[in-house]
Amino acid sequence: MMKTDCPVSPQSISSLSIQCLERKTRRLRATCVQMAHDGGEGHLNGALSCMDLLVALFYRWMKNYPDNPKHENRDRFIFSKGHACTAYYAILADRGFIPMNWLAQYAKNNSPLPSHPCLHALPVLDWSSGSLGHGLGVATGMSYGLKLSGNPSRVVTLLSDGECNEGSTWEGAMFAAAQQLENLLVVVDYNRIQSVGRTDVLNGFTSFEEKFKAFGWGAKTIDGHHLPEINDALNEFPFESGKPSALIAKTTAGRGVSFMEDQVLWHYRVPSGDDVKQALEELGEAPLYFREGNPS
Amino acid sequence: MRKAFSDSLMKEAENNPQVTFMTGDLGFQVFDEFSEKFGARYINVGVAEAQLINVAAGMAAEGWRPVAYSIASFATARPFEQIRYCVSYPNLPVTLVGAGRGFTYSTSGVSHHALDDIGLMSLLPNMTVVIPGDPTEIEELFPQVMRCSGPAYFTVGRFGEPRYQAEEPSVLGKARLLKSGQKIAIMSTGEITHEVLKSVNLLHSENIIPMVYQMHTIKPLDTVTLDNLADQVRAMLVVEEHFPNGGLWAAVTQWNAIRDKPIRLQRVGPPDSFILGNLNREDVRKKIGCDAHSIAITCRLLWNQ
Repeated sequence: MMKTDCPVSPQSISSLSIQCLERKTRRLRATCVQMAHDGGEGHLNGALSCMDLLVALFYRWMKNYPDNPKHENRDRFIFSKGHACTAYYAILADRGFIPMNWLAQYAKNNSPLPSHPCLHALPVLDWSSGSLGHGLGVATGMSYGLKLSGNPSRVVTLLSDGECNEGSTWEGAMFAAAQQLENLLVVVDYNRIQSVGRTDVLNGFTSFEEKFKAFGWGAKTIDGHHLPEINDALNEFPFESGKPSALIAKTTAGRGVSFMEDQVLWHYRVPSGDDVKQALEELGEAPLYFREGNPS
Repeated sequence: MRKAFSDSLMKEAENNPQVTFMTGDLGFQVFDEFSEKFGARYINVGVAEAQLINVAAGMAAEGWRPVAYSIASFATARPFEQIRYCVSYPNLPVTLVGAGRGFTYSTSGVSHHALDDIGLMSLLPNMTVVIPGDPTEIEELFPQVMRCSGPAYFTVGRFGEPRYQAEEPSVLGKARLLKSGQKIAIMSTGEITHEVLKSVNLLHSENIIPMVYQMHTIKPLDTVTLDNLADQVRAMLVVEEHFPNGGLWAAVTQWNAIRDKPIRLQRVGPPDSFILGNLNREDVRKKIGCDAHSIAITCRLLWNQ
């Protein structure tokens, strides 16, 4: 099994190679699978689909300060698709925001890592999530507030494609364009699978990029699993001057685990021990946290 | 009351540079002065109540002190989940202002009647609920609400309501004595208090002189004053412009239910049904038995028992 030997510290992350980051995404995915199994809670489809996006954001593009998580110059981040939070927690642990051994507590009784992220349980967060369709609206409030106080920090929210079903998402989209929130980035994890159906069917096979553009945004569609492409797109932020930016990332639900990929079944199925074994073999990396019986 | 509100808001914004104001596309010309003076601290989010609340929440998270404004029925019921999840749960200092609650917009139809707003907002943890009855209470209570560290729901009526006399100033969280009296106490909240005061005038010649309290703060409920009063009176009459569930009546009956010696309670207020018929406020109140005359009848019965 391939080992991850990438250094991680706030000083060195900007120098991590793409190969190193790609390996990291596999290790973080393995961590999600293990957490879902141990915690008995899943949503692996959406966790595995957004991992490359999170790595690009947290290791390259966003300004964040693990030693001082509420630093006023940090870029604000709202993980709006809260159900997929194994991915978010794994990143927070890997970046040093929370202790690594907390990951073993995911979704367990009295855990700081509930199955939907809670600001009260985990004060390092910028926002709680669990109810869909709030991330974009709240992000516009943060963006407006930062602009008003002359703070150059940016606001990023990661949305699921499913929560673009919510009308409140489009109320926020209208407002962001009207107020010219150039400091706002929305990333849509377009993994095409929802809880019990297919996104494209539910939205009538219409284009996210065209919708955001029609709402007055700068928008791009990219391969959400290709780190260099994600990084290139992020480096072009803001996509258009004076407009908020929407990055539509085409992804695969359950990415990296053959039997989960593009299967509605795995939206919230919890993996068995055998499922974990096979998944870790395919990913070729061990989970981040130690657990008896883990391959290491 | 709306003038009293816009003046109070101006004062708050002058004293506190963090105060921002956002409207769901309502209040034509009412906030022109605010917008001219404070520029980007004024926001019209459009007819988008979910967004109204989420912008306020995001701004509060960034240290601003938002006041979010819409018509009471739209400000509360439509974005209830946004208020619950993005304001009440993180306990952010957002003041939600509902204009024209109760039957203020009576002839606009059921869409505009706000008879469930107090219940909806009182349900939410961390929420302070304040329903002023006249312009003086707006002026006295709004600054106190803006000192709350968490969220609040605050209502304002329309233009030109009279001011009533009171024996005490308005203090957040405290029942306000408007008129001293004996034997029975009338408790009301918001603008229906004007009808209560008219009913008391009607009864004066019969030497029926109840106490009158304006319960402007529904949450937290002033149970200290209620407990004191319960020892002094034989009955309380609750008058409200709200459905029987979730409003002042519900709050007072909950308080009463766990007393060792429950006090006799009566209610005057709308029934648990939508009010049809396109009547103006005065006639709606007559039709459903919430006008001064009806209040006086119930009061007389309680007094003579």
